[in-house]
Amino acid sequence: MTFRKLFWSGAALVVLSAMALAHSGATGVVKERMDAMKSMGDAIKRIKPMMSGEAAYNADVVRQAAQRIATEAGEAMTRKFPEGSTDHPSETLPRTWQEWERFTALADQLEVAAKGLDLAAGNKRHGDGHMMDGQSGMMGGGMMGDQSDMMGGGMMMGNGGFPQGMTAKQIGQMPADGAFMMLTQTCSACHDRYRKEDS
Amino acid sequence: MHRSLTIVLVLLSVAGLGGVSLVVWPIGEVTRLAERDGDAQRGAYLARAGGCIACHSDPSSGRPALTGGAPIKTSFGSFVAPNLTTDETFGIGGWSVEDFARAVRQGIGPDGAPYYPAFPYAFYGHLTDKDIIDLWAAFQSVPPQEVIGGDNDIVFPFNLRFGLKLWRAAFAKGPPTAPNPEQSDPWNRGRWLVNGLAHCGACHTDRNLAGGRRASQYLAGSDDLPGGGKAPPIRPEHLKEAGWTVTSLAYGLKSGVMPDGDTFGGGMGEVVRHSTAWLSEADRKAMATYLLNEVKTGGDG
Repeated sequence: MTFRKLFWSGAALVVLSAMALAHSGATGVVKERMDAMKSMGDAIKRIKPMMSGEAAYNADVVRQAAQRIATEAGEAMTRKFPEGSTDHPSETLPRTWQEWERFTALADQLEVAAKGLDLAAGNKRHGDGHMMDGQSGMMGGGMMGDQSDMMGGGMMMGNGGFPQGMTAKQIGQMPADGAFMMLTQTCSACHDRYRKEDS
Repeated sequence: MHRSLTIVLVLLSVAGLGGVSLVVWPIGEVTRLAERDGDAQRGAYLARAGGCIACHSDPSSGRPALTGGAPIKTSFGSFVAPNLTTDETFGIGGWSVEDFARAVRQGIGPDGAPYYPAFPYAFYGHLTDKDIIDLWAAFQSVPPQEVIGGDNDIVFPFNLRFGLKLWRAAFAKGPPTAPNPEQSDPWNRGRWLVNGLAHCGACHTDRNLAGGRRASQYLAGSDDLPGGGKAPPIRPEHLKEAGWTVTSLAYGLKSGVMPDGDTFGGGMGEVVRHSTAWLSEADRKAMATYLLNEVKTGGDG
């Protein structure tokens, strides 16, 4: 490597770090993961009204959003959480590293759910026009009328109400709003346990 | 010298008398249930709405549902919601429906001991006999499991349960749930859920040093949740400022998604997953209508 190349890559680094600093005070890996979270949140925000019936459904937009989340999930997410990276303004709780396996399982689950939503996008919403009746469809459907499931008989031992071992392909069979809920509840399960609330 | 000693002795005996009477002070009322045939299906729905399943289960422990919750860590100690399966020893298999009614509505165990307010019985006092019998039918359908999640670990002096009688006298009253004839049906249904069974105020209303809810802080948020968590204010003005509408809040209670595309954390995700997501669309809309104090039926603002 020539001196010139070294000089320019060094200068680029300095500029990049300065840019990182300028953005909400977060730097390095903390900023990287906050940006990734923001990007996923934007994707959710875009398609949520389609799932709740507040906006017209567009399968292509749903696919794009699902793919964006899938690329940020799994290993792409967990590698942005090196042990002890809790510099301000990080909202990550130390428990994340004490329960690393559980945390990574949730990140992997997010990837499965996002890929599932990608496949389910063409299925549209469950009974367009009238919302599904609560529990049915929510976790794979067919639970209506079974009070033993309602009482937790079917409670999955996985994380976030996500049936263990469920594949993206299986989620892909669901109505899009059912798949979307599996995804958002996975986000939420992780936030419940590993994010400090600043409200 | 002599005199002050007498005063001290008198004071001590008065305090002792007070203590003794506190121990023997009877609490609760005898329950007789008029109806007997429970609807387990409806009861299971109420159990979801009330968070019974959420709090008395700990999916990450690997134990079956309703065999006991994850410990709730507070400044008074650590509380573990017990086994509610039909096991005679570990669960509630040995209970009568009257025991159950008294436990749920009055917060008193079959042995007469008052429960800690970690169990939100103050919010369940409005349940009718029918509600109770339906819930009972649902719980009777749960197979027995010989396992518990753990024991309470309460710090002195809160480990002396008779002290709870004072607490009951001062704080064991939930917010109002009776219908207001000037409001719409969804609004009233929402109030019944929010102020009653779904017990939103257990977290979203701040508590005083004794763990009693401060009525003036009704749904104004709390930054002193078990485990050091925070619950945001959820009064109409706060919710509107955060961008919620009746439709989006009802959907948020199903999906966990907030107006900015973020998703709930801090335990609210769990509330959604194990409770509100199981409710009917009409009930979630009702809760949102009441929380946003939407006076017009079907309004969205």
